[in-house]
Amino acid sequence: MNGIETRRRSTKAILYVLLAVILVLYGFPFVYLLLTSFKTPSEAIAVPPSVVPDVWTLENYVAALAKEGVVPALVNSVVTAVLSTLFSLVLAVPAAYAVTRYRTPSGRVFVLAALVTRMVPTIAIGAPLVETMRALGISDTSFALAIAHTTISLPLSIWLMASFFEAIPDELEEAAKMDGASRLGALWRVVLPVVSGGLAVTAIFAFLASWNEFLFALLLTSVRAQTTPIVIANFQTQFGLDWGAMTALAAVYSLPVILLTLALQRHIVAGLTLGAVKG
Amino acid sequence: MTLRDTSGRARTASLGTAAAMAGVLALSGCGAGGDAAADELTVVVEGGGLAELQPIADLYKSETGTTVTLVELPYDGLYDRVQSELGSGSVSFDVAALDAIWLSAFSDGVSPLDDLFTEDVKADLFPGLVSEAQIDGEYVGMPIFTNSEILYYRTDLFEDPQNQTDFEAKYGYPLAPPTNWEQYRDAAEFFTRDTDGDGQIDLYGTDVKGAVETEWLATVSQTGEEHMVLDPETGEVTIDDAEHLEALDYYTSLLPYAPAGSAQLDWAGAQNLFYQGQLAMMRFWGHAYTQTPDDSPVAGEIGAAPMIAGAGGVAGVPGAWYLSVPAAGTKQDLAKDFIAFAYEHNDLSIDTSLGLVARISAFESQAEVAGRENYPAILETLNAPATRPRPATPQWQEIVDTVLTPMLQKAVEPGADNAALLQEAEAQIEAILQ
Repeated sequence: MNGIETRRRSTKAILYVLLAVILVLYGFPFVYLLLTSFKTPSEAIAVPPSVVPDVWTLENYVAALAKEGVVPALVNSVVTAVLSTLFSLVLAVPAAYAVTRYRTPSGRVFVLAALVTRMVPTIAIGAPLVETMRALGISDTSFALAIAHTTISLPLSIWLMASFFEAIPDELEEAAKMDGASRLGALWRVVLPVVSGGLAVTAIFAFLASWNEFLFALLLTSVRAQTTPIVIANFQTQFGLDWGAMTALAAVYSLPVILLTLALQRHIVAGLTLGAVKG
Repeated sequence: MTLRDTSGRARTASLGTAAAMAGVLALSGCGAGGDAAADELTVVVEGGGLAELQPIADLYKSETGTTVTLVELPYDGLYDRVQSELGSGSVSFDVAALDAIWLSAFSDGVSPLDDLFTEDVKADLFPGLVSEAQIDGEYVGMPIFTNSEILYYRTDLFEDPQNQTDFEAKYGYPLAPPTNWEQYRDAAEFFTRDTDGDGQIDLYGTDVKGAVETEWLATVSQTGEEHMVLDPETGEVTIDDAEHLEALDYYTSLLPYAPAGSAQLDWAGAQNLFYQGQLAMMRFWGHAYTQTPDDSPVAGEIGAAPMIAGAGGVAGVPGAWYLSVPAAGTKQDLAKDFIAFAYEHNDLSIDTSLGLVARISAFESQAEVAGRENYPAILETLNAPATRPRPATPQWQEIVDTVLTPMLQKAVEPGADNAALLQEAEAQIEAILQ
């Protein structure tokens, strides 16, 4: 018994060590970025680099936020990401629901075809999208950029939601229908609350896809709808790299996503385990 | 829980979502940057160009009433954006600030500016810039500012009496900012030392950049080579000739006096090493003279001199940016008017963060001004007969990325066979050009 207990503890300890190593590997780049954002300009470019600043300063944050276009770009990023997330959910939920509930051959082909669109290089549809948005008179708007970002997130959103819907037994909806609900009513009042964790996972995925996207933002925006990834990249010019300000803005830009993830943490864990108990 | 119980909450949630969406949609219609006015010019620029052009755009607005909106894009992003839009024949900008090496790639998609290149204009521009602006007999861009590598050196080290005595005793001539290859190598060797007695070298004479090609190209021109890498007129690839080998041999002969890691060293890395006080000398772009961080250990102790000379004389590589008008643009006349205005008021760029201009007269106006010691150095380097622009070929960027930089990275590794590397590069470039 003692031997079993000892083995169990050893296994647990090894697992914790492994987790710690993985955490450090994932977390160190961000921690380093965060620490660099508090260094003086000279220390930020020191060779060899230091990890912890000798002198802590906020001047990089002041410089980054004072740069023209930074605040509008942050607003544009939020608007575009929220809109793209809404578009993805509004389109992915009914699509995934129909595919999982009707289980027709054409539905399976549709889901596969949706995934195939992910294999098309983004740059290949960049130029046609520029043309399309200009023809529609919506170029350089967050609306147009959100539509473009939806083309990235929608296929995987459909797949994600489909896997979550698969985990919901048909009997749940049957019961709702017996209580007088229509199919849409059952979806809205019964199924969606049950898959709220899956919705959260999908929303975060769609939000992040838009939040971090660079190429479409580069091609489709100019003056009015430029998003923060472009502004962050602008700190590196052909004439120098402003590490301090760049890391400061990157740290600021990471904050909403971290807060959003923390706020939805419980739903995310529930969502991640939802597919695992499919029965 | 009953269905009826949840419907109230669902309704509230629906209404909330609808209201939020309405707000987001309202914002998304234009973006937070504000609406674009109908009578404005849009100019796409890289970060450096934004700083240079802003005072000119401001004056243009006050004198003509036309707003010039400068759209800042990352360097690579600007290339992608311009390429994509010129290729589609539908452009969102009226003027583009283009790097010199892009001109030949974009020349088919931009309008000729021949009428702007009067004899007076050409006389006030460096010869290399005038020739670089002309592709297939037409002027496709107006230089708005130009750069050149110059020599930076530590004045505290060069003016130290002990160093001066020791140097003269060892090399037989006085210590001074080097003007040619031999002097540069001597000074590099002299200053490479262990300054704190811990047995480790902590001061190097120079750097050797392996991750960027322009400094080696300047070295090629310093040999007297007239066609660096290739002759765009005939298509002949020249990279395997004696001058290129001489340049590569000299370039790599400085490795013993440079910090390790040359293969990965680029502009930013070299600049950092110099600002950290780890280099006694550095060949670098002229704009950096005014950009030393205040808390750098070498702040206030940096001198500037023209680029060094080889057998062919002093030579650098012009790093100019040009304003071009897309042929598909709808405001051709207004765009050309702004470009003419920008040339006329080129001196406004002197007091910007980069402080770079394009006109010789603008450079000369600052030649005696304290704090502008880089100007005479840039002026002399750009006016040197051996200074030549990079070849005007649409494949240049590809040649740089896939041949020149990898070749240099191999050349700075121990035991590299420079002649074999140049031979290999020649074959690769010929394949690209075919």
